[in-house]
Amino acid sequence: MIVLSDYLILAAILFALSVAGIFINRKNVLILLMCIELMLLAVNINFVAFSHFLNDIAGQVFVFFILTVAAAEAAIGLAILVVLFRNRRTINVEDLGSLKG
Amino acid sequence: MIELAYTVTAWMPGWMQAIAIILMKISLLMMPLLLGVAYLTFAERKIIGYMQVRVGPNRVGPRGWLQPIADSLKLMFKEIVIPSSANRFLFLLSPLLAFAPALAAWAVIPFDDHLVIADINAGLLYVLAITSLGVYGIILAGWASNSKYAFLGAIRSGAQMVSYEIAMGFALVGVIMAAGSLNLGQIVQAQATGLGLFSWFWLPLLPLFVIYFISGVAETNRAPFDVAEGESEIVAGFHVDYSGMAFAVFFLAEYANMILIAALASLLFLGGWLSPFDGLPVLGPLFDWVPGIVWMLAKMSFFLLLFLWLRATFPRYRYDQIMRLGWKVFIPLTLVWIMVTGVLVVGEVGPWFGHGEG
Amino acid sequence: MGIEKFLFYFFAAILLVAATLVITVRNPVRAALSLVLAFFASAALWMLLEAEFLALVLVLVYVGAVMVLFLFVVMMIDIDLAQVKEGFSRMLPAGIAVAVGLVVVMAVVVGPEHFGLEGFGEVPRHGADYNNTRELGMALFTTFVYPFELAALILLVAIVAAIALTLRRRPGTRHQNPAEQVAVNAAERVRVVKMAAEPRDDAPVPTAEPGESKEEPR
Repeated sequence: MIVLSDYLILAAILFALSVAGIFINRKNVLILLMCIELMLLAVNINFVAFSHFLNDIAGQVFVFFILTVAAAEAAIGLAILVVLFRNRRTINVEDLGSLKG
Repeated sequence: MIELAYTVTAWMPGWMQAIAIILMKISLLMMPLLLGVAYLTFAERKIIGYMQVRVGPNRVGPRGWLQPIADSLKLMFKEIVIPSSANRFLFLLSPLLAFAPALAAWAVIPFDDHLVIADINAGLLYVLAITSLGVYGIILAGWASNSKYAFLGAIRSGAQMVSYEIAMGFALVGVIMAAGSLNLGQIVQAQATGLGLFSWFWLPLLPLFVIYFISGVAETNRAPFDVAEGESEIVAGFHVDYSGMAFAVFFLAEYANMILIAALASLLFLGGWLSPFDGLPVLGPLFDWVPGIVWMLAKMSFFLLLFLWLRATFPRYRYDQIMRLGWKVFIPLTLVWIMVTGVLVVGEVGPWFGHGEG
Repeated sequence: MGIEKFLFYFFAAILLVAATLVITVRNPVRAALSLVLAFFASAALWMLLEAEFLALVLVLVYVGAVMVLFLFVVMMIDIDLAQVKEGFSRMLPAGIAVAVGLVVVMAVVVGPEHFGLEGFGEVPRHGADYNNTRELGMALFTTFVYPFELAALILLVAIVAAIALTLRRRPGTRHQNPAEQVAVNAAERVRVVKMAAEPRDDAPVPTAEPGESKEEPR
């Protein structure tokens, strides 16, 4: 019998993994973006699970919006990354100390 | 048919019987499909041959009919060369990534009323989701080959497929609005309004129909949109480093995708398994005895002929023109026609709209 | 073990393994592919939760579009792997500590004693005629119609921003204008010039000299 807490713990582990990913890959902007996607995925799993177990469609509507915003975020994030790489030839976070563009 | 399958597998326990029947259904679909792919290559060479006043392959077997068998045997026994600097794992994985979605999408394609492996609610969405995965096979093949030409082909094709998916998706939105359902069977049923071929969606959604088919040609990287291969510019594009069976799998995927696009176009715009004379005064009863699957296959063959015809007729598009066509012509056109469809649906215009559950 | 339980643990295992691969592999292409696998596994989990529309949208939008974008960027950008991965092992203990701490804390909150069998146990499955897409659409276009419009606006802003950020015209490169090329007609291509015939000189004709051509360069 799979209950709500199973899904919630799964999402918690996933979230923790992506936080750890941000820690250990803190120099690579690309992997950082991927970790953010993973975090949002964990959050979405929570929403869908609650929506199912409370029999309320609003949770899924929220996931829909998160997907939309996350897609927009990924697109803009990658665009910034490309511009960054074009100007600096690096995506190492430590080399991005200057505020001047 | 299905009863026979149940009696043959009656000795199995329940779960095993279910799996056996599913496997049987899958193989019943896959074998004709793969055979169809093989003979589509033959048909392509023959038809283009006749269009160019040649005879095409005519040496192997009677009038060349065994040519695809010979081709496949040759490809099977050839060595698969793996470039020394290639990413071995991805290099071998990518043909499968291209092939698997091309086959998986067939699960929801109905050939006749309820003659379908999985009759799911969101069938069209499933097809769209699965076919959007085909791009991975091509991108990874180009990247893993570690060759400039392959990579250029992969980048071209990836951008092209993602772009045309948008126009394709919008064209499908129009169909969904008109039919009021995502289920492919119900979409076909919504086109049965008793006016024969005039009750199908191609008439009210004509711009979407044309755009869908052209986007389908671009999606499958077929001529005149085959810049991913572009023999004269980038030698053979993303599969330049592939040989033997690995190459054959790409080939199979391309042709299976072509047949899939043809099947979808007939289901969504040409009434699937419905007879073109359905409900017409004299011809209707005359053709009632023809089973639906025959009409379905006939419509698919028509679209496949169009694919070949296009290839024999048009020169290759230039890449920026392809992108312009997709983004600046097709997407605005589909958006406009979605609006028009909305008005038609709300106004319950003609025999096509208004009978559905609004 | 029921089929549902089996499927849950199967896909949950795939999801966690894929997520671990995303944060640990050296090659960013591998990381992106692992992320694709993670999305797939969670789409399967959402199917188990009867959210079929969202599961398919996740595959369509994320796997079909966003991850392709990621792969494009990863492949086009020439990353110095050694430099980017430096500090990996140094930060590993800290990362593991944080992850374990987070899991422990969250498991206490969301564990079975709060969200377990009692209260959140068996949920009656919907019948075969339940249409998740219809339910979601009903909610989306009635109760949540303003947020829906806002989401559309956000997407529009994202499109404009992404194009504005990355579009550049390098000075000196030559561009073709397809719209202009398509719109051209015969009269613009060829100019028929009327001129009187010139008398032929007796002197030898200067051959093969790339002189000035009559046609106008376009």
